[in-house]
Amino acid sequence: MATTTAAKGRAGIPAWLGWLLPVVAIAALVTLFLLLNPIGSLREVPAVEAVAVERTVLKADEIALELRNDGPDPVTIAQVLINDAYTSFEISDRKLDRLESSTIRVSYSWEEGLPLGIALVTATGVTIEHEIEAAALTPEADGSTITIYALLGLYIGVIPVAIGLFWYPALRRASKRWIGFFLAFTVGLLGFLLIDTVAEGLELAGETAAALDGLSLFALGAVGAVVALTAFEGFLAPRRANQSGEHVGRSPVGGLALAYLIAAGIGLHNLGEGLAVGAALAGGEIALGTFLILGFAIHNTTEGLAIVAPLGSEKRRPSLWHFVALGAVAGAPTILGAWTGGFLFAPAWAALAFGVAAGAIAQVLWQIARGMTRDHGLASGLGALGLMAGLVFMYVTGLLTA
Amino acid sequence: MGPLGELPSAWKKAGRIDRRRFLRRVGATSAFSGAALLGGHDALHGSGMLTHSQAQEGEGAQGGHGNNGHLGGTVGDVDNARNGFDPHEILTDFDGGEVSKDSRGRTVREYEFVTTDKEIEVAPGVFFPAWTYNGRVPGPTIRATEGDRIRVKLVNASAHPHTIHFHGFHSASVDGIPGAGEALPGESFTYDFIAEPFGTHLYHCHSLPLVQHIHRGLYGAFIVDPKQGRPDANEMVMVMNGFDTNFDGENEVYALNTVAFAYSKKPIQINAGELQRAHVINVTEFDPINSIHIHANFFNLFRTGTSLEPDEFTDTISMGQAERHMIEFTYEHPGNFIFHAHVTEFIDLGWLSAFEVV
Repeated sequence: MATTTAAKGRAGIPAWLGWLLPVVAIAALVTLFLLLNPIGSLREVPAVEAVAVERTVLKADEIALELRNDGPDPVTIAQVLINDAYTSFEISDRKLDRLESSTIRVSYSWEEGLPLGIALVTATGVTIEHEIEAAALTPEADGSTITIYALLGLYIGVIPVAIGLFWYPALRRASKRWIGFFLAFTVGLLGFLLIDTVAEGLELAGETAAALDGLSLFALGAVGAVVALTAFEGFLAPRRANQSGEHVGRSPVGGLALAYLIAAGIGLHNLGEGLAVGAALAGGEIALGTFLILGFAIHNTTEGLAIVAPLGSEKRRPSLWHFVALGAVAGAPTILGAWTGGFLFAPAWAALAFGVAAGAIAQVLWQIARGMTRDHGLASGLGALGLMAGLVFMYVTGLLTA
Repeated sequence: MGPLGELPSAWKKAGRIDRRRFLRRVGATSAFSGAALLGGHDALHGSGMLTHSQAQEGEGAQGGHGNNGHLGGTVGDVDNARNGFDPHEILTDFDGGEVSKDSRGRTVREYEFVTTDKEIEVAPGVFFPAWTYNGRVPGPTIRATEGDRIRVKLVNASAHPHTIHFHGFHSASVDGIPGAGEALPGESFTYDFIAEPFGTHLYHCHSLPLVQHIHRGLYGAFIVDPKQGRPDANEMVMVMNGFDTNFDGENEVYALNTVAFAYSKKPIQINAGELQRAHVINVTEFDPINSIHIHANFFNLFRTGTSLEPDEFTDTISMGQAERHMIEFTYEHPGNFIFHAHVTEFIDLGWLSAFEVV
């Protein structure tokens, strides 16, 4: 204490100035650096030109590309090649500064189902290439397509999850051993979703404009979700302490709260799933087949079971509205995802969304695993079986959508 | 059910797509007709080209053409002033050098070629780091008569060693290869030889690595006339070249005399009934074959220009690297006639040209 006071007295610097001083110093350094350019000679290397094609929109006889300068240096788009032929085009802004975006429109009678090779030739002769695997009309956000995407979300997200919730009455009659089995099944299922989400998210991070750093966005989303859900859990815990209810093992949160947390985690995953399906559909990468929808539906029905698993040992039956809400939390984001993916897809935002989903699932996984009793835990025979069953079931039903 | 019932579903699907394509084509054609009507006065942009029969009838009826009525896909124009050379001037820019007579009465033609590193615009807005003789690509066209003495002083003001290697007869000491006539940066070398045999020839840098030294722009035409001369004609030099602007081993731009679509955006004006003589030289790198095809006409082909009588009467000729020919033709009626590589992928990348016969 004495030393601090002495130091304070000697320097005579107020606390606020102490906080501000380093900020002023770094600002001064930045200014000096920009003015004097002390390493100017080291930057005498050719410009690094990188442009990301963030979105392609195909309309009748028109191709539109949304670009973003992805590199450290300005890029000027000089010409456009479509399938190795120079073509006339319009561009909103030829010169793209760092991170600046621009839109190119090409009048071109592309053919449905055939690949399109697009190359942008910059002023320095560098080519930025973008391949459309199979050209297809980009769905426009009009009434009918909005409805179709909503129905898609309904079929692959909301309805299957709701159906899964109907396992609740059977679960209530199940013994503690079997509830343990289904909780372990849930852990397996969520574990599968976690791996799936991380893999998808990292893939999207790779597609993101390098300057936007997709990997960091993914990590930011994941850590953010864990922190937010942990804080939410801390908020629930004291309220729970005042209630007189049955514990689910040693979990600080009650069965219903845990069910909501699982629903939230699954909901965020389904947001990502909807996003991926919507974007793939819009980009002409997948065809909307009956089999694909049924595959997703069967795959996602188990998610309903996972949500109600922690409610099995609750004494009181939650009101019906809770089930509606649980279904909505877990399923409805699919619709939101399908819309976003179909009409506004950008890999950077998708990477962030997948990060949030991964973080949420990881947090919920940890929550359930912690709450399971030693007797009926993952290490018990039935528990291990449930875990494996969850993983295998998700893998097998996942094959339906592959 | 006939055999049609057995068609694999993929075939049926293909049939459906074909119908769609057909519908789209119909749509594109009708849209185009409007464009042609609007832009008819613009020689080629409005696709106001005359078909052969229409031209003969002397009528200005306009024929349809795809690609929205545009010939030449690049957007904008190349700044010839900034480049320091104009493809239209290069066509007929024959350089006889500084002429004098030696003690034996032989004509001596002296040239100075300075090699420089220079950025040139090969398509609108697309810049290529070229190496040049006298600041232009292709380099100056040397024009001499067989038996003339040629003295070319190479002054190397570039950052790399360079040579001039002439196709023709000369002694080993002036062959223009590393060790026999290579000028290091800041140095110079003089090539001294007799121009022979007569024909359409070329010169190029032969320093190593060879692909780089040629592809970057160090080449030009070397025309040697026969002593007895040739019939009067409008003579043109057409160097078929390409530019790998992103240095991936494939050309992004093809052209005649360097600038993509230079002669389709602004056709070469020639006179009806006048004999045309073109010296066509292939210096394209990375592609083994280039070619030239003229529309609505045939030409007399003089292989390498080394004979006085034509070898062939045709409308298309393919050439390997460094192959070159002299072609002669006459357009009898006014109109616009395109000519281009019949390695068709080069057309869309810039090697598309046109004559405006007046």
